[in-house]
Amino acid sequence: MTKRTGVFVCHCGKNIAATVDVKKVAQELAEDDGVVFSEDYVYMCSDPGQTAVIDAIKDNDLNGMVISCCSPTLHEKTFRDASELGDLNAFQCEIANIREQCAWVHNDMEVATEKALKITRASVRRVQHNQALEPIGVPVTRRALVVGAGIAGIQAALDLTDAGLDVVLVEKQATIGGNMLKLSETFPTLDCSQCILSPKMVSVSKNSKIKLMTESEVESISGFVGNFKVKIKKKAEFVDPELCKLCDDCTPVCPVAVPNEYDVGLTNRRAIHIPFAQAIPASFTLDEEACLGLDPVVCGKCEEVCDVGAIDYDKKPTVTEEEIGAIVVSTGFDLYGMEHMGEFGGGRYPDVLDGLQFERLCSASGATEGHIMRPSDHKVPKEIVFIQCSGSRDPENHCAYCSKICCMYTAKHATLYKHHVPDGQAYIFYIDIRSGGKGYEEFVQRSMENDGVIYLRGRVSRVYEKDGKLKVMGVDTLAGRNIEIDADMVVLAQAMEPSKGTAEIAKILKIGRDKDGFLAEAHPKLKPVESVTAGIYLAGAAQGPKDIPETVSQAGAAASKVIALLSKDQLAHSPTVAKVRDPWCTGCEMCVDACPYDAIALVDGKAHVNEVLCEGCGSCVGVCVRAAIDVKNVTQLQVHEMISAIMA
Amino acid sequence: MVNVEEIRDYAANLLKKGEVKSVLGFRRGSASAFAEPCTITDVGEATSLVWDPTCLNNLTLYLVKDRKQQAAAKNPDNRPVGIVAKGCDSRAIGVLLQENYFKREDVVVIGVSCEGTGVVDPRKLSAKLKGRTASRVTFGGADGINVSVYGDETETVIPAREILADRCLECRAAVPALNDVVFGEAVGAREFDEPFHAAKEAESLSADERWATWEHHFDRCLRCFACRAVCPMCYCPECVVDSTTFVVTLGTSAEEKANRIRWCERSANTSESAVYHLTRTIHLAGRCIDCGECERVCPVNIPLRLLNTKLEKEAFEMFEYQAGHDIEQASLLSSFRDEDPNSFIR
Repeated sequence: MTKRTGVFVCHCGKNIAATVDVKKVAQELAEDDGVVFSEDYVYMCSDPGQTAVIDAIKDNDLNGMVISCCSPTLHEKTFRDASELGDLNAFQCEIANIREQCAWVHNDMEVATEKALKITRASVRRVQHNQALEPIGVPVTRRALVVGAGIAGIQAALDLTDAGLDVVLVEKQATIGGNMLKLSETFPTLDCSQCILSPKMVSVSKNSKIKLMTESEVESISGFVGNFKVKIKKKAEFVDPELCKLCDDCTPVCPVAVPNEYDVGLTNRRAIHIPFAQAIPASFTLDEEACLGLDPVVCGKCEEVCDVGAIDYDKKPTVTEEEIGAIVVSTGFDLYGMEHMGEFGGGRYPDVLDGLQFERLCSASGATEGHIMRPSDHKVPKEIVFIQCSGSRDPENHCAYCSKICCMYTAKHATLYKHHVPDGQAYIFYIDIRSGGKGYEEFVQRSMENDGVIYLRGRVSRVYEKDGKLKVMGVDTLAGRNIEIDADMVVLAQAMEPSKGTAEIAKILKIGRDKDGFLAEAHPKLKPVESVTAGIYLAGAAQGPKDIPETVSQAGAAASKVIALLSKDQLAHSPTVAKVRDPWCTGCEMCVDACPYDAIALVDGKAHVNEVLCEGCGSCVGVCVRAAIDVKNVTQLQVHEMISAIMA
Repeated sequence: MVNVEEIRDYAANLLKKGEVKSVLGFRRGSASAFAEPCTITDVGEATSLVWDPTCLNNLTLYLVKDRKQQAAAKNPDNRPVGIVAKGCDSRAIGVLLQENYFKREDVVVIGVSCEGTGVVDPRKLSAKLKGRTASRVTFGGADGINVSVYGDETETVIPAREILADRCLECRAAVPALNDVVFGEAVGAREFDEPFHAAKEAESLSADERWATWEHHFDRCLRCFACRAVCPMCYCPECVVDSTTFVVTLGTSAEEKANRIRWCERSANTSESAVYHLTRTIHLAGRCIDCGECERVCPVNIPLRLLNTKLEKEAFEMFEYQAGHDIEQASLLSSFRDEDPNSFIR
């Protein structure tokens, strides 16, 4: 077929045109073999720009086109849609990136123009060998999985069921609620955390469309967007939640005491316990690790006292397989370990607490029933020091990033402290105060003006114990003097880090993580809730430090993405997938091993691609020493042509 | 000491029982002392099998050839094949098994231990004999090779260190790990040279010196493709440099025929030859078991082993990977470990 290729060079305002002679690119490309139309335009993606493209396709009977503009992640879809409107198959349209990969990284116009020419010419040579392709239709399972039932997971699950979808909600802990459960009040309105969370938790438990699986973890996943099969492992259910009457006869007889997770170690609990009074599901649960061995000969006391016979030590873990169309991952955060903060006495002095422990001290449901007192001697602290950025913004020693919520919750902590101990004094060491958010700055100002919190700009070098006091050695950089405070209590605003197990779940689900270990979004601006794997979405602090409003927004966004995805009868899968050239294939299975999507299997001694699973990443092409596998429209011939065009 | 009669009996027995259709082994060559590869199919021929330090070839090549012949045959004979294999040869069989080229039950590995020595390098021997031709070469214990020459049948013991092939000096596993039977003592380690000795030595040169050296080598390359022909790992249906063996089947589309790519030209010039050799090197990364055949057959003495052992050294040092050591292992190029120490993986 005669090549009738069109070339469209975009100025992107001055973004490209300031560095690349776009007119020259268009004019020179017009002379190339098979190019029948070549023009430049100030904004190709604008309505007139797209109209010009559509008209040019029709007027010149184009059978291939290259848009020389920005990155394909931005406008590939725009121009492929325009292509279809011009009756040209969408996959006959390719993007040559002369902005990010050329104009933005060069100063010299002559050199940049030469490079833009080469990039565009390479794309022209490639598109001239493109095949017309049709998207692959894939059926959909209209059921979602939410992993992690903190506020993010709860919100996403409720939003999903509102849209009529069935949801499997998986939680590792014995109760849903996550970290928000442990909070006392929430900034900037100081409403009680449990009061706003527990109605949502109850909604989850009463919702017939939600299959709640606590003490459960995702074990493995197979399949693909719209059609996942997920194996979920549930710990042995030693206490039958249907039978348990919450009478609490079992805990007094249990001889084991271990730190209570819900109180962040400030109190102890028994091996058999209920995480907290309003736990969902409302049932006692037996901590297998703490229990004296589940052996009635060794102990068996709780089973003896249970009138209703809800306890059965012979229960085994179960694995169920769920069919799922889309997944929201909301595995939340943990605080950066106190053991890392040796210089602040973290993990060494009982009166040096992390933020969540302080929340438990303030909380009416906490060990002290909301009275702030020192864990060591139960005295009310009269001087209290809060240290911000503890473990954050310290690339040399700790986490490089800003944990975002600490400025606000520290202001909240100091305010709450003053409300509990009006004659006490709160000091806050800070680097900057980052109070971006509705009502946030006013909240910080109030803590200073109304509650007399003393903000000291500077860092703390050391905290040590002396004569029953915690000596805080710091500096006030604004006043230019060293500060020494004899504090009764020190609270460290520990950095947020991805919850334990984030690495494992990321590996199981084959979604990426960023340099700090948080789950990676597909695009930092334009795809903030999508993971890199189709059909898997992100919500909450597992994706990056964020506060409750932001988490709830993201959870809603993730849910709406799932709802949109599952609203269709069929999903369109990109047809630019791998294709095996059988005569060359020797069945060595290297591609099978290399494929990150398990899309290749050996059939009759030859590699066979499951087109629905294939994401067209090309890993198989890279490992095949026999050149027996190609990705459609990125064939070796096309790569060869592109290299030739660039080297010419 | 390997008793060659045992090898002969074993091979004869395999053929007698019909367990194999043929046995690949070594027999005395028609000229000089060097053994040559042979395929025996009759029980009676088993007496011609030999084992001595001149059994240079990696016979695995002929397993590959047999599989290709059977694949093309009208009435393929897919009965197992017996093969006499040294330590290095057995690793080649291992790589082919890893790559599913044939199944374990398709081959009976008659392993022979080099017992702490190895095979001779014909060039080193020739230099040592100063123009005379060896008439007989036998193992002379752990440290020596017995050599007699035409016209003078008295045996001289030459220190093994001086005439063994380079790869044998560096060998880490001279006993066939993959085997159905092993003849000879299981002496694996030797202390002639450290592993990757030659590659490490070559690395000590500067980049400019190395380039000058290789430019010189590639310049001499005749593009006879003997290195490719002798390599058991070079079994691709179509080689990247070939335009003659293009496989056309019913499934080959007109577009594929029209769009064959010429990544590298067949003609001999320095740049094309460099591309050819470097491509071959990369294609053998994690697959070369260091049988040294490419270097042995090169008519212009290009030290091809260095290219391959350099990459095997990298594979070993970076990924603890040794080609052909574990047939259950995924191939180097296609596998990845989560616990990989390199920072680009997380």
